[in-house]
Amino acid sequence: MENPSAESSAPTAMDLETAAAAAPPRKPQVLFAQKPNFRPLKAHEISDGQIQFRKISVPPHRYTPLKKSWLEIYTPIYDEMKIDIRMNLKARRVELKTRTDTPDVSSLQKCADFVHAFMLGFDVIDAVALLRMDELYVESFEIKDVKTLKGEHLSRAIGRLSGKGGKTKFAIENSTRTRIVIADSKIHMLGSFANIKVARDSLCSLILGSPAAKVYSKLRAVTSRLAERF
Amino acid sequence: MASSANGGGNPSGLEALHRLASTEPALYLTQSPELSKSARIASESLFAFLNDYVPKHVLSRLSTEGFDAEQIWQQIDLQTQPLLSSLRRQVRNFEKNPSEIGKQFNLDRDGVKEDNLRVDGKNKETDSIESESEDFDDDDDDVDEDEEEDEEDEEEEGGEDDDENDEGENVKGVEDKFLKIKELEDYLVEDEEREYGVKKEKGNKRKSGKIADEDGEDKNEEGDEDEDYELGLMGLGDDGSDMENARYDDFFTSQKKTSQKKKPKYDDESDGMDMDEPENDDSDQNEQSHPTHGKELGQLRAKVEELEKENMHGKTKQSLSTHEKELEKLRAEIEEMERANLEPKTWTMQGEVSAAKRPKNSALEVDMDFDQNVRPPPVTTVEDTASLEELIMKRITEGQFDDVQRAPTLLNKAPKERKEMDENKSKKGLAELYEDEYAQKTGLVSTALSFSDEQKKEASMLFKTLCLKLDALSHFHFCPKPVIEDMSVQANVPALAMEEVAPLAVSDAAMLAPEEVFSGKGDIKEETELTKADRKRRRAKKKRQFKAESVKRMAVKTQLSTLKKHENVAGNGES
Repeated sequence: MENPSAESSAPTAMDLETAAAAAPPRKPQVLFAQKPNFRPLKAHEISDGQIQFRKISVPPHRYTPLKKSWLEIYTPIYDEMKIDIRMNLKARRVELKTRTDTPDVSSLQKCADFVHAFMLGFDVIDAVALLRMDELYVESFEIKDVKTLKGEHLSRAIGRLSGKGGKTKFAIENSTRTRIVIADSKIHMLGSFANIKVARDSLCSLILGSPAAKVYSKLRAVTSRLAERF
Repeated sequence: MASSANGGGNPSGLEALHRLASTEPALYLTQSPELSKSARIASESLFAFLNDYVPKHVLSRLSTEGFDAEQIWQQIDLQTQPLLSSLRRQVRNFEKNPSEIGKQFNLDRDGVKEDNLRVDGKNKETDSIESESEDFDDDDDDVDEDEEEDEEDEEEEGGEDDDENDEGENVKGVEDKFLKIKELEDYLVEDEEREYGVKKEKGNKRKSGKIADEDGEDKNEEGDEDEDYELGLMGLGDDGSDMENARYDDFFTSQKKTSQKKKPKYDDESDGMDMDEPENDDSDQNEQSHPTHGKELGQLRAKVEELEKENMHGKTKQSLSTHEKELEKLRAEIEEMERANLEPKTWTMQGEVSAAKRPKNSALEVDMDFDQNVRPPPVTTVEDTASLEELIMKRITEGQFDDVQRAPTLLNKAPKERKEMDENKSKKGLAELYEDEYAQKTGLVSTALSFSDEQKKEASMLFKTLCLKLDALSHFHFCPKPVIEDMSVQANVPALAMEEVAPLAVSDAAMLAPEEVFSGKGDIKEETELTKADRKRRRAKKKRQFKAESVKRMAVKTQLSTLKKHENVAGNGES
């Protein structure tokens, strides 16, 4: 009830002000300026109306999987994130471009991360989590960062990481809620920060030579703690 | 006979043999045609000699001109092989029948004796006595051939045969008593050893001595040569073999013994000897032998007596009486005991002995007797093991193992729910996982996500229904139906309708007891139980009641009628 009166008073104040302004200013009065009423800026406008681009190169071994799952990649980016996406076949690149109606500034980066994750080797359904959640990260490291291994030792270490039929890798993935990609000597992890830390610790201990059973026992202890938090 | 026939025709052979014998052995190594020629001649002559005694002739003579050594040898071999076998047969025959030897010798005695004497004297020195028996077995040549013996004795060529022949004859001469004498000697030796503990190692010597003695005493037929032989044996045999161990006993005890034992022998064998004596041409020699032998014996006896007189202590064992023998024994024992006492005692007799003071492992050998406080371990018998095994088998068949079972620990708190480590690729993507987690957190989705939760839910549901039923039955308190959280479409029905107004269970048990409810009095009987009197009474009662009622009704009726009349009147009056 008061508000309308306040509002009415405001214009009246303004009217007064204008009246006062119209009339030659005899007495200088302190008048409060009206707050400017801005509507929120669109993403487009944040970047001063300029369109932003991202280019992600496609490694040859991901070319065919990209072709297969192109639509699964395209749909969420174009429809939900409102980012233009195209594949530059000649240059073997995926190119992303903001539109004028892109709602969020960060969406372009998220999409770029999503595509990049796919290029690293993650599945689409796993990479999509990057689009949907903020706190997920991708971390990569190499085996030689942990321990210098050559030849057969390296092969054995990779074998130890994956386990028979990949069961060690899946065990780590399931218990820490991450996704792991082992590409020769490089290891990529996708997940939240704490989970990535746990997964990295397990993987490093595996590289350094501890048997899988030991790693499992440590995992169990850690993940129960992680689960209890929720 | 044969020898005389051949003797004249072989001076060249003899010469050849002489020549061969005289050459130095070194010269044999050189190639000299003379030696070979003389050798051939000698072999031819020998062959001719032997040929007469061969059972069946194969070659008439040995042909050596232009023949090889091997060929000559083969010819000789042809002759000697059957010869040897026949000789052996004859020797065996002689072994069995020693008397035949005498016959043999007697036949051949004539031209042989001097030669034999000479030969004996020579050969005794060279040969050992043991070779007698060996030679006896190993006679290669014909022992009966005296001529050959002579020649071959002189030769050194076929050396091994010479001595054997000689001794063979003498052994043959002794032989018919040889075995018996030998047995006797052995027995004597053993007995002596046993009794006096003196080991006589001069068996051979004594044998030889005895043989010699026996020869000297018994063999009249042998005569001088035997005597000499015996003397030679006596004198030379002992000296020759063991000079350093010569003892008084060796000389005299054997002599005495043999003299004692031989006398009966002599008597036994005198018949045999007497038979031979007349045949013997050398009776002079026989006569001579006796006196010489007796003289010798007398000398020996004198020596013995001297010794005995001189040395009473050194009595020979035979001269002691049994008492003295016992005394000797005792004395020896006493001496030994005294010696033992003087020496330090064995460790078992020394009282307290530590391990250092006794030899190693000596305690094991001694059978010690001491008390132990420890009970000896139980000895396992066959029955024990059998019973044990029976028990074991029984338990196995029953399956009753008496295993120790761990006592179940009581849980202080509910077991923490552990998520199983899933080693398979997760079916949900990462995004979906987070989605599910979010939904669960915000409560949009029912919480029964894990398998154990569902099981728990089911269990709790079952229990709730059971509880409801039990409550309804037992307490008759109204309990509403259990709330099932269910996401299902509900019809738009008033809430009260959801709960049943009527109780689920109603009991028809009344508050009051039957007897409290019972309003009648007395004993109530059923129709069937009523007796006749009861029925009558009942009927009478009923009748009375009915009567009373009817009277009342009548009264009421009359009253009513009167009232009605009054009303009617009144009504009429009013109107």
